Amino acid sequence: MAEPGHPAVVDATAPARGRLPLGRRLSAWASQERVFRLIPFIAVEAVFILVIIIPFILTIYISLLRWRANRPFEQANFSGFLNYGRVLAKDEFWMALGRTFYFAGAAVILELLIGFVLAYLLHRHIRGRRLYITIFLAPMMVVPVVVGYNFSMIYVDSGPLNEILAPFLEPFGIDPRIRWLSNPFAAQWAIILADVWQWTSLTFLIFLSGFAALPQQLINAARVLGASPAQIFWRVQLPLLKPAIIIAVVIRSMEALKMFDPVVLLTFGGPGISTQTIAYYLWQEVWVFSKYSYGAAASILLLIFFSVFIFFGIWLLVRQRESVRRVDVDI
Amino acid sequence: MKRCFLHAGVAAAAAALSIPALAADVLPGATVAERALNGAKEYIEKNGLENPKLTMLLSSLYRNSMPDFTREWTELTGVEIENVPLGYTDIPAKVMAEATAKTGVYDIFNDFPYSMPDAAGAGVVVPLDEYAARGQPDFSGTAPGISFQQYYQGKLYNMVLDGDHIILVLRDDLLENPAVKEEYRAKYGKDPGCPETMAEWEEMASWFHTKEGETRWGMTFDKPLYGAVAYRSINFSYRHFPAYLGGLMFDADMNPTINTANGIRAIKQFASIVQYMPPDVQGWGTPQIYPFWRTGNAFSAMSFPSIVGNANSAEDSVIKGKQRACAIPKVDVGGGEMVSRAPQAAGTGYMVNTYSAHPELAYWFIQWFTSESVGDRAIAHPKGFWDPFRESNLDNEGIIARFGRQFLDTTMANSKNAVSLLLIEGNYEYFNILDKHLASVMNGNITAEEAAALIEEGWNDVTEDIGRDYQIATWRSGVESGIYLDKFE
Repeated sequence: MAEPGHPAVVDATAPARGRLPLGRRLSAWASQERVFRLIPFIAVEAVFILVIIIPFILTIYISLLRWRANRPFEQANFSGFLNYGRVLAKDEFWMALGRTFYFAGAAVILELLIGFVLAYLLHRHIRGRRLYITIFLAPMMVVPVVVGYNFSMIYVDSGPLNEILAPFLEPFGIDPRIRWLSNPFAAQWAIILADVWQWTSLTFLIFLSGFAALPQQLINAARVLGASPAQIFWRVQLPLLKPAIIIAVVIRSMEALKMFDPVVLLTFGGPGISTQTIAYYLWQEVWVFSKYSYGAAASILLLIFFSVFIFFGIWLLVRQRESVRRVDVDI
Repeated sequence: MKRCFLHAGVAAAAAALSIPALAADVLPGATVAERALNGAKEYIEKNGLENPKLTMLLSSLYRNSMPDFTREWTELTGVEIENVPLGYTDIPAKVMAEATAKTGVYDIFNDFPYSMPDAAGAGVVVPLDEYAARGQPDFSGTAPGISFQQYYQGKLYNMVLDGDHIILVLRDDLLENPAVKEEYRAKYGKDPGCPETMAEWEEMASWFHTKEGETRWGMTFDKPLYGAVAYRSINFSYRHFPAYLGGLMFDADMNPTINTANGIRAIKQFASIVQYMPPDVQGWGTPQIYPFWRTGNAFSAMSFPSIVGNANSAEDSVIKGKQRACAIPKVDVGGGEMVSRAPQAAGTGYMVNTYSAHPELAYWFIQWFTSESVGDRAIAHPKGFWDPFRESNLDNEGIIARFGRQFLDTTMANSKNAVSLLLIEGNYEYFNILDKHLASVMNGNITAEEAAALIEEGWNDVTEDIGRDYQIATWRSGVESGIYLDKFE
């Protein structure tokens, strides 16, 4: 209604807008500045809530119930922190956790060392460099199931690995038929080596990028000042590669702590429980034994434990970035 | 409650035989298969279904053989069946996930009977008694250790078509070798043949065990001849262990019997023979054991019965027609009492999803497929892994041609001693505890006595977690039904 004294302003488009299809009206509404800038935020938050928050709350809720999936969910009853207590009191849980750190530690150290050496050798322009890089990156792209299957064949008692090792072991009176998958100690290393074979590619890639990003003028300057190749490596290149090293350590450690595929594909956690990692242990408790609420409690506890390591890794990264920034400013 | 389960157990035993008597509205048809077909047709007509479809979660062992039968069913009834093959180790988890998700995406679950207790407890499989009363399946001619595996707490949930009670198979060519006979007779005073006891089997394994490069009986062995091969890995040991235990795993109050003189003897005997097996055997399952047996590098194998058919038909087999099947040897369970027990180590069956859109239609397929006339053809299927288990198999030409008369007679005799594995809720957890500690004994990490104590402790934990009273009731009901053959003392 027009104000008194003012001519009525007729909105010629009003009737037409009223007849606009819903889709176009929605589109016009979403195009408004105040709405449009919120859309990405809302979309991300919605996905975050649906994919992370709701399942997380559900997991906490289930962890507080007494429920195995071999009974209907309706029969589940509240049990407080009973499941948490049972997880913490279970030797197998701690053993699996300890074993996971052992596997992850050994695998990541080897991957870092081998990846670093390969990257060091290939960061310079040598003949066939591209071919070597392609070959060294290939394992990372192989599907883990294929890796597991291949290694199960390699580790067979009379398989190729033992055939290769035989000439080196027999002169010392050692039985060349190493029981890679049925001897508890050998089976552990069989899994570690399979992981190393596949994931050294990643550390190699990270280090190769690190070497490529090294400021050449610093190396040239050191060389002009009379530094030996060893001094250049230890005093210039290695310190500058620290961020790449930390990234490689953090990324690979986080992944290795979730080690599951090689365990399932090579040993199924055996012999005994000698190769049972925490991921395998959880999978077994939940999916094989249907202990959903026990598994939920164990998952929450693991989240807490692993968060400590992840935060430590992130703290290292942040600290490293700040120190690099300080060096840049000084320069 | 307990009394109810006890009665249910006895009822289960009687149920198979009494189905005809209970039937109120029996479908027309002279045979089990005909009644199933009529049941399916009636259901389709009554519900006005057009192009009905069922989906079966199928053990991948049958991916090359089951389609022949589902196609036939489609031609007969117009009901299409989609087979979704999956590795048998993954099927129980899928079934239990369905209990929570309730999607109805699968109408039929094909798995071992041991998945039934958890599935029935979770309510994801439907009791089939109502349909069976109309269709009248026939479970006669089947040993109780196999037929009563179809029941849980007195209700029919699962229809089995597979006699996977384990068997011992020896190398007949070696047993019949004159030089072997002479040397063996000189040492043991008799011809080598099927061993009477587990101890004798181990003795034979030791005697036949030959190192690489050794020359015996006029033959030089380029590769070692292992005295035995059998399942000794996680997820497999539990399937064989009852043959060594020779009795019930729990008493009437669900107290484990493993930590007794007999239990410890069983663990020791189970672990001892491993010294004559290939070094990798603790990592082996069927994909390793069957091909290895076919290479001729072992004297004996204790396995699922299909190993015989497999070694007779596989192209790469060097032992075609050179096998002698034997019943499972006896064990001394104490006081000189000798017992033979052939665990039904796998043996797949068929269950109906509670959340299926057409549970009755799914049942009619199962009844048709597991019937004598169709099931016998399945067992004879050259690409199948179904094993003989009922008397009608003895006269089926296809089955005789596939498995051989000597094997058939032996496996049918062996089936008289067939016993179910543990058929109670949480059984996969009980099995896993057993397997882990057996592995530790075989690896020399712990003694049999220590293992027995740890297994007892672990089993008691599971029992308490699920509910002792509930477990006692189910356990007693199973024992009463006869699936374990042995009864409480």
